[in-house]
Amino acid sequence: MSLDTSSVVAWLTDFASVIHDNADLLTDLDREIGDGDHGSNMDRGMKAVAELESASFPTAADYLKKIGMTLVSTVGGASGPLYGTFFLRVGTAWGDAASAEDLGKALRAGLDGILARGKAEVGDKTMVDALTPALAAYDEHASEGIEAALNAAALACAAGRDATIPLVARKGRASYLGERSAGHQDPGATSVTFLIEAAARSLA
Amino acid sequence: MVGIVVVSHSRALASAAVALAEEMVPEDARPAIGIAAGLSETVFGTDAADIAETVQSVDSPDGVLILVDLGSALLSAEMALEFIGPDVADHVKISAAPLVEGLLAAVVSATAGSPLTEVAREAELGLLAKREHLGYEDAEPDVPMSTDELPDFTSGGVLHYTTTILNSHGLHARPAAALVAGLRGIDATVTVSNASTGKGPVPATSLTLIQTLGLRHGDELEVTIVGREAEDALDAIIHLAEAQFGEAPLGPNADAPTPTPPKPKPADPTRTGRQIVIGPAHHVSITPDISEYVPGSPEVELARLNAAIGQAGEILDELERAGGLGIYQVQSIMLADDITQAKLREAIASGVSAVDAVQERFTALAADLDAIPDAYLRARAEDHRGLRRVLLRILTGKETSTAFAAGIMIINELDPLTSGSLDPRLCQGVITTSGGSTGHGVILAQARGFAVLTGRPEAVDISEDTNIAFDPVTGELLIDPSPAQLDVLAAKQKERDADAVQAAQQAHDPALTLSGRQITVEANIASLEDAVLAMEKGAEGSGLVRTEVLFADWKTAPTAEEQAETYVAIGKALGGALITIRTWDPGGDKPLPFLPQDPEANPMLGERGIRAMRRNSEIFDEQLRAILLASRETPVRVMFPMVTGTLSVEWGRQRIAAQRRLVGGSIDQGIMIETPAAAIRAEDFLGMADFISFGTNDLTQYTMAMDRGNARVSSIGEGPLPAVWDLMTHAAQVFKGKPVAVCGDMASNPELVSRLVGIGVTELSVRPPLIGVVKQAVRRV
Repeated sequence: MSLDTSSVVAWLTDFASVIHDNADLLTDLDREIGDGDHGSNMDRGMKAVAELESASFPTAADYLKKIGMTLVSTVGGASGPLYGTFFLRVGTAWGDAASAEDLGKALRAGLDGILARGKAEVGDKTMVDALTPALAAYDEHASEGIEAALNAAALACAAGRDATIPLVARKGRASYLGERSAGHQDPGATSVTFLIEAAARSLA
Repeated sequence: MVGIVVVSHSRALASAAVALAEEMVPEDARPAIGIAAGLSETVFGTDAADIAETVQSVDSPDGVLILVDLGSALLSAEMALEFIGPDVADHVKISAAPLVEGLLAAVVSATAGSPLTEVAREAELGLLAKREHLGYEDAEPDVPMSTDELPDFTSGGVLHYTTTILNSHGLHARPAAALVAGLRGIDATVTVSNASTGKGPVPATSLTLIQTLGLRHGDELEVTIVGREAEDALDAIIHLAEAQFGEAPLGPNADAPTPTPPKPKPADPTRTGRQIVIGPAHHVSITPDISEYVPGSPEVELARLNAAIGQAGEILDELERAGGLGIYQVQSIMLADDITQAKLREAIASGVSAVDAVQERFTALAADLDAIPDAYLRARAEDHRGLRRVLLRILTGKETSTAFAAGIMIINELDPLTSGSLDPRLCQGVITTSGGSTGHGVILAQARGFAVLTGRPEAVDISEDTNIAFDPVTGELLIDPSPAQLDVLAAKQKERDADAVQAAQQAHDPALTLSGRQITVEANIASLEDAVLAMEKGAEGSGLVRTEVLFADWKTAPTAEEQAETYVAIGKALGGALITIRTWDPGGDKPLPFLPQDPEANPMLGERGIRAMRRNSEIFDEQLRAILLASRETPVRVMFPMVTGTLSVEWGRQRIAAQRRLVGGSIDQGIMIETPAAAIRAEDFLGMADFISFGTNDLTQYTMAMDRGNARVSSIGEGPLPAVWDLMTHAAQVFKGKPVAVCGDMASNPELVSRLVGIGVTELSVRPPLIGVVKQAVRRV
């Protein structure tokens, strides 16, 4: 089976509702070490995504790219270009996502986009710290099928997210805090974990 | 020119930063600056798609520099470059510079025509001046301005120039920007150093590096120039230095004024403002449409207001530089008024939009003045309405364009800003339907050579495009004139044109009557620029220096030395010819900020002129001392205004005598004849006045009991007035053998010259643009 537009709609709808329910949490996390807008920014962006007419896109790839552009123009903070790039690249590499490998490649392209855009490395206390182990776990379990791979990715993503707590931020607004950023969970790693968890629930 | 894009989380921040940077450079020379900031007026954020669009909107082959604030601004900017594709992105650079400093440096550098790499470098050096000021060890520039980049001055053809910085705050950003801009387009390599501290040399194309020289007041600026147009560069720098790099030496804290030559005027000598004009009528509305204005939050509105005020200030500066007779400068001061600005901000803070605040404030200011039937105060109401219009125009982004098809413009009133926007290629003449002839806008339009007919309410009913003709001298207005009428006008105009051409040719020759009597034709002077213009037009000195106008902007009284410098500068600008300095003439329509007066029920009959000096003898003495000091360096005489009896003249003479004992000097002392009392009893003054000068405007209004600003009665003052002529004839006869001057408007009317000469007038002091025609009129007597 291939992942069509309706699958992507399911994924993003799930993600949007989790973001909405957890907007305060994200904002609180961001307030500790950033500018306190991650929750409201993402919620605004995902609401705009939810308003897209999914049926008007000929392919899932087109829909994903439009999601990327929508996030770029509506999120406002650094997550705008980062999530925007993620979805633009995922869309470009989507193909028909017929296999676990195909989906893995598309997600990998998204992560590469984030790395290129944000120039963050593992250990900088960013979303990369969650997404990198998530995709490693995905690849490891890809042969077992999409469902198994995404479940493994979601667990690894959450672990990566939790591992950001002791880190000292080296990128983004949090880096201005230096040592004081240690002891707080990174909001970007938190929201990207919601994204992968939503994928595990809806794309499998 | 390199385009600039400002990317910020906050639209208000970006707009304010742009307004700040734009202050550095003249409006018409600015690079295209785009703003991609905020998701809306109030929501913080950046949007890569918006940035991409903005970059494309300012893009040119010269490239674009993007300045960013923080965080996502950079990510979004990078993403934007991917959106717009390599063709454009290749010549777009994102700057690492701090936003405000970088933007300022980039704007100046782009204005100077620098290439993208240079603009980018300038921006990134933006922090340097601050670091240097704070004494950072590494503040000395290294790679970007290594001496390798400085030209080789060891070869021949090098020009050197050293000048002392006279600017009271040194060569700070604004004057440094003037230096950079002043050298724009000149093919020469110029470096500057601070000879007093040994700092430098640095390239004079770099605003940032010039500021690192730390040139303070009194420091020596050393300039070295090589290149094909080295001499032009040197000329430019000498001019800049003389003009203190554009920092107008006005106001109590400024240094001595320096005459700046006015811009070349259109060469057509027939455009005297007295030409008959014929053309289609065009009604022009100058009321901006504010109905579509969308107000933002108070913060946004405040930012917009500040930006609009900044922009309006620049428009005024620009108009003043183009020959504003000081009028736009006064408008600038009105705009910058603390109380006005505080009230505007207060209104905005309370939730009123910038548009409504401007509308209310300036309408109220104008209404206060409109309520007074005095022409000069009404002129100021026009000034306020002009400021309102320009601010609303900027805020709404809507042009209330005075650009219209060629023809004669019919307009409600001609405020100075509207006047400044008249295009001589399109506008043949202007008819105002309300508004008097003494408004600043009218004076400026006439000085620029436009024919103006004022206060003609009937013009409202003229249909659009109807052919009309008017004669600004006689006030004749013809609607749809017949061919026969047009022939008459053409003949009249031909004569006048020939006269104007001849007048221009002979402007610098003395004015001799047919019988060989020489009449001195002088200029009325209200600013240094007037004096420069008057000299150009052939003035033989000044029969009236309006000191209260000259120093009208001063909040505190100028010292004797400060005044003397200005008087000497005026004398020198007039080639060392005799100038007549009228002592402070406050009151009535001309309040002096440093000489507050109690409100009077009838100011025209109140404490005016020398009457007002009795209670302010310190300020009077200071001025007399200034006039005596000036007399040591240039020929000067003094005259007392608003004389009615001998007591005040004796008092004035005693004060001069007392000052002369202190500082020496010698001057003739005269009186103005502008009251019937002084004219009737002219013989009383024979022993105490070395000369007399008729102030015909006041003499007319006092003789005829007619407020010259009140349109309902001012027609009484038109045409030959026997009563006034009798008074003048009497006084002139009494003073036969001594200089008898006219400095009122009567002198500027060529039709009356013959009669004035006939009663024994020996000097005519006129509006500077009319010197040629008045001389010409003398030659026919």
